[in-house]
Amino acid sequence: MTGSGSPHPWLGPDEAAPVALTVNGTALEVRVPPRRTLADALRDAGCTSVRLGCEHGVCGTCTILLDGSAVRSCLMLAVQGQGHHIETVESLAGGDGLGPLQQAFDDNDALQCGFCTPGFLMLIESLMRSEPGAGEERVREVVSSNLCRCTGGGPVVAAAQQALASNRDGR
Amino acid sequence: MSGPRSRLIGSPEPRRKNRELLRGEGTYVADIRLEGQLHARVVRSPAAHGRLLGVDTSEALGIPGVVAALTAADIDDIRIPIRLPFAESPEANRVLQAPLATDVVRYVGEPVAVVVADDPYAAEDAAEHVLVDIDELEPVLDLAASSESSQPLVHEHFGSNTVNRLAYRYGDAAAVFEQADVVVHRRLRVHRLAAAPMETRGLVADFDPASGVLTVWGGAKVKHFTRGLLSTVLGLEPTDVRVIEVEVGGGFGTRGEPYPEDILVALLAQRLQRPVQWIEDRWEHMVATNHAREQEHDIEMAADRDGRLLGFRVRGWCDHGAYVRTQGLLPAVLPMFHLPGPYQWQAFSMDLDAVLTNRTPVGTYRGPGMTEATFIRERMVDLVAAELQMDPVQLRRRNLIAEESMPFTFMPGPGSGAVMPIMYQGGDFPAAFDELLDAAGYDQLRDWRREARSGGRHAGVGVSAYIEFAAVGPFEDVDIVGDDQGVVIKAAVGSLGQGIETALAQIAAELLDVPLDDVAVEFHDTAELPQGFGAFASRSTVLAGNAIAAAVDEMRAKAAHLLGCAPGEVEFRGGVATGGDRGSVRLAEIGPTRGRFEKEGLTASFGGAVCSVSVDPADGRVRVHRFALAHDVGRAVNPRLLRGQLAGAAAQGIGGALFEELAFDGNGQPLSVTLADYMMPTAAELPDVEVAIIEHGSGSNPLGIKGGGEAGMVGSFGAVANGVADAVGEGAEVLSSSVSPARIWHALNDPSEPAGTGKPAQEA
Amino acid sequence: MKPAPFAYAAAGTLDEAVELLGEAGEDAKLLAGGQSLLPLLSFRLARPSHIVDIGAVEDLDSIHEDHGQLRVGALVRHATLEQADLHGPWRALKEAASLIGHLPIRVRGTLGGSLAHADPAGELGVVAAALDAEIVLRSVRGLRTVPAGAFFLAPLMTAADADEVLVEARFPAPGDGFRSVFEEFSPRAGDFAYASVAAGCRMADDGSAHDVRLALGSVGPTPLRAREAEEALSGSMLDDAAIVEGARLAAAGCDPAAGDWHAGGEYRRALVANLVERALRRLRQPA
Ligand code: FES
Ligand code: FES
Repeated sequence: MTGSGSPHPWLGPDEAAPVALTVNGTALEVRVPPRRTLADALRDAGCTSVRLGCEHGVCGTCTILLDGSAVRSCLMLAVQGQGHHIETVESLAGGDGLGPLQQAFDDNDALQCGFCTPGFLMLIESLMRSEPGAGEERVREVVSSNLCRCTGGGPVVAAAQQALASNRDGR
Repeated sequence: MSGPRSRLIGSPEPRRKNRELLRGEGTYVADIRLEGQLHARVVRSPAAHGRLLGVDTSEALGIPGVVAALTAADIDDIRIPIRLPFAESPEANRVLQAPLATDVVRYVGEPVAVVVADDPYAAEDAAEHVLVDIDELEPVLDLAASSESSQPLVHEHFGSNTVNRLAYRYGDAAAVFEQADVVVHRRLRVHRLAAAPMETRGLVADFDPASGVLTVWGGAKVKHFTRGLLSTVLGLEPTDVRVIEVEVGGGFGTRGEPYPEDILVALLAQRLQRPVQWIEDRWEHMVATNHAREQEHDIEMAADRDGRLLGFRVRGWCDHGAYVRTQGLLPAVLPMFHLPGPYQWQAFSMDLDAVLTNRTPVGTYRGPGMTEATFIRERMVDLVAAELQMDPVQLRRRNLIAEESMPFTFMPGPGSGAVMPIMYQGGDFPAAFDELLDAAGYDQLRDWRREARSGGRHAGVGVSAYIEFAAVGPFEDVDIVGDDQGVVIKAAVGSLGQGIETALAQIAAELLDVPLDDVAVEFHDTAELPQGFGAFASRSTVLAGNAIAAAVDEMRAKAAHLLGCAPGEVEFRGGVATGGDRGSVRLAEIGPTRGRFEKEGLTASFGGAVCSVSVDPADGRVRVHRFALAHDVGRAVNPRLLRGQLAGAAAQGIGGALFEELAFDGNGQPLSVTLADYMMPTAAELPDVEVAIIEHGSGSNPLGIKGGGEAGMVGSFGAVANGVADAVGEGAEVLSSSVSPARIWHALNDPSEPAGTGKPAQEA
Repeated sequence: MKPAPFAYAAAGTLDEAVELLGEAGEDAKLLAGGQSLLPLLSFRLARPSHIVDIGAVEDLDSIHEDHGQLRVGALVRHATLEQADLHGPWRALKEAASLIGHLPIRVRGTLGGSLAHADPAGELGVVAAALDAEIVLRSVRGLRTVPAGAFFLAPLMTAADADEVLVEARFPAPGDGFRSVFEEFSPRAGDFAYASVAAGCRMADDGSAHDVRLALGSVGPTPLRAREAEEALSGSMLDDAAIVEGARLAAAGCDPAAGDWHAGGEYRRALVANLVERALRRLRQPA
């Protein structure tokens, strides 16, 4: 990547540059031309839980955590990811089970087809970290960031509330 | 014998698959990466109607990474056929779609070429460099006016913009209208919608020259039909085409029908002998995947002073878009079947035109035809009630077909076309309606309304009742294979995210008395499956479930034969069949057993919806506060999953009424091509949905199951529209199924504006 | 739906950014949070030859008050503004930021990006217009400021030259007792507003309103100031009659051609009247 003062700062349209990411705690270097979105780069690197429902920043199925906050990976170029920490749904469960947030989704039937699910999980994960005391209204507002065509999102609100509550109780 | 048998049918088992999906491990079609895989991009018509003078791919082929390009000139002259015999007509067969447009383009988004490159970005670059020369023609956009002589023709060779007129006469409508005390006459419109699953369509095809086998991965609502079609087009034996269903991000009726792209991608894989992937983008999805619902109905309804509904006459126009697709005339046939609904009409007369326009073709979307018809009828019933100054619930209640009258048939009379009779096998409609009112807390809702109104709010309560026809035949086969791990159920229905594998496993586990976890359900790969028709019309559980029952009976017979006892003596328990004192045999030893369930006609179920709404007259915003629905599922195999299906469908319906719309400008250009413009509801706009599952059984199949996957949608438009009408009262007429803020504001403030009439205001 | 090709460079400093932008020519675009640019790229509605990424440029992400004037750096995220300790005169800014898209959009989206994008529905542009913000632009040629009223030229068009980087918005010191609010109507949570209003005024001790500001979004090619309404309201007690008249005048000032198939001009005008009323009633309440 281009550092300051580099004599050839421009990366050509067809030139692939190495981009150093940390994905779920592991260093990952991807080689991408400038126009490749972060979502595509992650998917190409095997993170297929990052799903594309619209590619224009409305549906939220591509939501990941960037340095701990929920962002839409279709609204970032991969080159913008340089040096950042990325988390995807693969980080939520240890072993082959479910983490508490995932379990709350299961308990509340907050998924049907599952296509929107990883995006919702990351969205709520960021809320749980930044606003552990979020109340119903705030939860609903944040959940409304993403679209779920199967459930309408109501069960996702219930799942998020359960997860937040059990978090607060210290489980 | 000892111990209670496991009761799994009716048990709220958790859905299979959840663990995998929650861990992000599901493999959807875009996740498939085969060695050497290429990426296809479809070049689409930018014009709604025009002569296609030329398609030049030479420049595109020069782009680095581009491997091939196809235009209509490169492929055989084929048309994508209608899948359902009862939705076909000779006329409809003359306006089918070719995979690539030949000499005329008929909607924005119609495929005119396809390019293939080694990367999706390059494929998109190349598609931009395909030069498409079109001499634009005037588009046909207005439904009711489409057949006027001043209008251009969507298909010149066909000579008309009406594919067929469907006619159904019951009783003597003229006589009934003559004696009526009250006649209400309106023109109602149903707006255009998209199922818009969160995952767009997609496909991967791979041809193995050594074995001559073509494998296709994707959403596969109708796997065997797709297999047959592809084998014909590609000149292969059906057994040399494998259709494999992968994880599917929602179907709702639109995914998995064979579309132009399915044929193109398969052809490309065969010609290039490399795997080809095509992933629809969201813009394409909004113009290329079946649209739904757009209709216009001129309807009059007659009643007597005592609140008896007498009859109705309707002249309707049902948009099919630019071509008739695989679902044939269903966009007109289904509304016709559902217009009479649950009431005891003395007579009616229906004339519905299947109309062609220069818009994306129309297919079925969850609750097809029935959602539209229910809106039309139920809105009219409320208008009649207003005219009679009668409570709309009372009016409905007194006209529901009584249980004593079952089975009930509206026998088509003279003047009807070649139609199947509308027949209800059974059910207690009035009792079910009362259950709905109970579940909704109808009396409390009225109290709420009174209070809200006294506080100056525009509050309303809306009710709708409906009949849903579902579970269409002709048959489904299921194979049961016992093995050391338990049993495997192989069925040709599909999973569209509705949890079919869980429900089928429950049925098999109960009938064979094996632990649920020992039942595996396979439905993915046509190479492994028996014949079947697929997942539509809420048929999967009904047809495949009963086929399981048939297969279990067959296993019983085989076991009896092996053991030398009477079939009635055979008991299944824990993977073993025991024949009284004749000993036992393991299921694995019985061998693979096939069961078939054949079904004639459709199964009718009753349902309804109630909602409370408020309207802000200042900005036109409608809020749905409570929404309750009741649906007769016959018998709930898994009430938990069913609830999810019903509530999810209702959420789609509510959103469809409140915000969603596929709009076009005066040139036929689609305006709702982003998810910012096609506004699907979020958790912030939706009420929690209460679901009452009614189990009134059904005489028409051994397990007593009726359909349930779509029903939550059916009453939604009618209930919401009636609620809004109730809330605004004299202030405005609600004549459109869309109650978007702009429409309601216009209806209240400026009814002359197009937004009040069910048509989108055109861009200034 | 994949972006067309472009060349890319990431700037480490502002100097580098303006240099790169100067080199890149007319068809270059700046990339900050990308929340407006990326959809345009993906739809190929924007096809820049070059993209200069200023996301990592330092010192553009602070909010501070300087002699009563509020200075907001171009890279301040909407989520930061939303949570910032902004009230009284700056409340509209905080309220507007909280209504931009959804949380994940606000986490990435920046003030500079939003202003430079110049969507007439953009919340921050409306606030900038109401509060007479000065937009600070930097190029190799130096620094200049453009008042908000002259900055927005047309939908997606601003007075910034191709080689200029928007570095800051300065909100001039308001008089004592100045306060502001923001209101909008959007069909669903997070949608582009059909209409929005940023309103402000200085409340005198006797309860009369002075220096009334009303800026409207989504009802014209740029954020519009409702000057006639402002004049009529200034000096009034913001009593009901004055508010209703102010709302009427504001609505009359909307561009009737504004609107699309979602919401036509007439409807938007009615929404403006409502929103102005609501905003003025809020201003009237004791702080
Ligand atoms: S795919 Fe990123 S928001 Fe839809
Ligand atoms: S579970 Fe299917 S979109 Fe949410």
